[in-house]
Amino acid sequence: MNFKLEDRFSKIAIVFAFTVLAIGGMFGLLQLLTRTPYSPIQLSPDQYYLSLTAHGVLLAIVWTAFFIMGLAVFVISRELNINLNKYLLQGSLILSIVGVIMTTAAILSGTSNVLYTFYPPMNASALFYLGLTILILGTWIFAATIFLAFIRWKKATKSAIPIATFGVLTTLIIWLEATPGVAIEVIKDLIPMSLFNTPVDVLEARTYFWYFGHPLVYFWLLPAITLWYFFIPRLLNTKLYSERLPKVAFILFILFSTPVGIHHQFVDPGIANQYKFLQSVLTYLVTIPSFLTAFTLLATMEKSYRERGGKSLFGWIKELPWRDSVFAGIAFSMILFAFGGIGGIINASYTLNALVHNTTWIVGHFHLTVATAVTLTFMVSSYVLIPAIFNKAIIFKKLTVLQPYLWFIGMTIFSTAFHIAGLYGMPRRTADILYGGLAPSIWIELAQIAAIGGVILWVSGVIFIFNSGTSILKGAHVAMDAGSLFEKVNEKETILDRISVWVILAIIIIILAYVFPFLQIYSRGLSPAPPLPP
Amino acid sequence: MTDKFEISFIAVVIAILSFFVYALLQGTTIGYQPPSACSVYPAVNTFKSGVVEIQPGVYEVRIVAARYYFDPSTIILKNPKKVIFEILSKDVLHGFEIVGTNVNVMVLPYYQATFTWDVPSELKGNFMIICNEYCGNGHPNMYAELIIER
Repeated sequence: MNFKLEDRFSKIAIVFAFTVLAIGGMFGLLQLLTRTPYSPIQLSPDQYYLSLTAHGVLLAIVWTAFFIMGLAVFVISRELNINLNKYLLQGSLILSIVGVIMTTAAILSGTSNVLYTFYPPMNASALFYLGLTILILGTWIFAATIFLAFIRWKKATKSAIPIATFGVLTTLIIWLEATPGVAIEVIKDLIPMSLFNTPVDVLEARTYFWYFGHPLVYFWLLPAITLWYFFIPRLLNTKLYSERLPKVAFILFILFSTPVGIHHQFVDPGIANQYKFLQSVLTYLVTIPSFLTAFTLLATMEKSYRERGGKSLFGWIKELPWRDSVFAGIAFSMILFAFGGIGGIINASYTLNALVHNTTWIVGHFHLTVATAVTLTFMVSSYVLIPAIFNKAIIFKKLTVLQPYLWFIGMTIFSTAFHIAGLYGMPRRTADILYGGLAPSIWIELAQIAAIGGVILWVSGVIFIFNSGTSILKGAHVAMDAGSLFEKVNEKETILDRISVWVILAIIIIILAYVFPFLQIYSRGLSPAPPLPP
Repeated sequence: MTDKFEISFIAVVIAILSFFVYALLQGTTIGYQPPSACSVYPAVNTFKSGVVEIQPGVYEVRIVAARYYFDPSTIILKNPKKVIFEILSKDVLHGFEIVGTNVNVMVLPYYQATFTWDVPSELKGNFMIICNEYCGNGHPNMYAELIIER
């Protein structure tokens, strides 16, 4: 079978993702240094908020979505050994890229410094919202392309879904569960606001946004977890400890990823305590699949050591291939994700949340999840995907080992400092933490420590972009049969493979979790506020 | 699930989460509650700010949040036990955080938020009040001061 078309899609999507990562990372460094007192680089406030908007939109949405699309096409086509619809695939890619270019142009023009959460009534240029809408439309067509091919495969084979495909489908299901929230917000409220100055109710808009905003993190995370399940057994020459438990984990993500967004609104007046409490508990449930993932992967690591005759209780940790860049990157991702998860439980706790809401604790938290568990996993996976998809060898092999170690060190410093500073109340999203000299000196010290971590992260990012960029352009040709990465399994399907059952159940849970908060918001009567420029 | 390690691990996870939910439930009956009460307030310019001691130790503090200030910008409380805050934003979304306490609330435009703060009896001195949600270029300049005298 010929995968030329699919591979071309993946190549374009991944190169686009790398480009966006390079730009977004640069903005990250600039703004981190700006908010560090006495650092040599100081952007003006409007440059800072432009940078923060670009960093958030480009990295949280564009970098992740494009890498995920490229990866999804690769996995689905090779693991299921099927071709995808050419026109849908091309259409989705063109729409997505056009949308990103529109939104990026709006940001860089300086008219749309609204950050990646774009809370109304702060008003960006219409181009910003239209671009986002077109991007989402593109991703929906993309999801349809994948599902059409999957349904065709399913009808033909009637076999159990292989694990990487299961992960990709889960990712897309979560995206489809989540994006209607932001689509409603943008189409109903924000585009009319930017075009016709229509007032917007902020509580309603925020609730739609966070309906989307939290499941978004599982959209990022699921492909990373899929890559963990994929690479760990292959790197250790063994099988997963269990093939069933990962599927259970994916299904739990389908069920509980979406009805949790209100944990971002615990200190929003206007949503009753009992609904906040309910979503706090639902968020706890979504930690179960992460626990299961940790168990399966650690058990797989220990199993491979025992299979080789290892006897010592913890000896398997030392025996792991720490000099392999893919393994090291994934292991660091898992370690930091564990701390991200523990912090996440604190964020999602009904009462504790007030201590950390909108402080740098939150920034420290999601740089462990999206910026490490996800981004570092995608980076090190690229060291396999570049030979597999681009047929190019990585040029600087030693740099691939250095890069995840630097990322781990940099992120540990950055994130720890930001977590602690958050407990001292240091706010996120501020260009200047001095507050006219009122700021406690501990804020300044921790900000400076975080900046050191940020510089190390940036160096790691530059190494990654340089190495993968030169390898794609100038790497030696390798003839790698990418299909050989996947094994052919032909098991009978079980209830776990009946995805539609789980989606219906998920929709019921989402309705139960959200119908009452929305009833409360609408029955109180809305209070729209007129738009204002940033 | 037939694997005994899997089953015992799942049991441990369920035990941990049950403990967390139990702790949450305890949290709903004692002490801090999230600030959830609000009312629509479309006539934002009629809102009057100010500090009133309605009973000994019980204060009603009405605050306007706007680009880029809090009104009043200095709040002085003598021996406060309980503070009832009523906050409104006149323009965009703001945050209201008293640094070093658990007072942290989103201030939505055209809504009035009402919440009560049980002031710890040992708390005294000067506290920063900051806006902790991005509200425009002047956001870093949006802060005020709370002074608690004992």
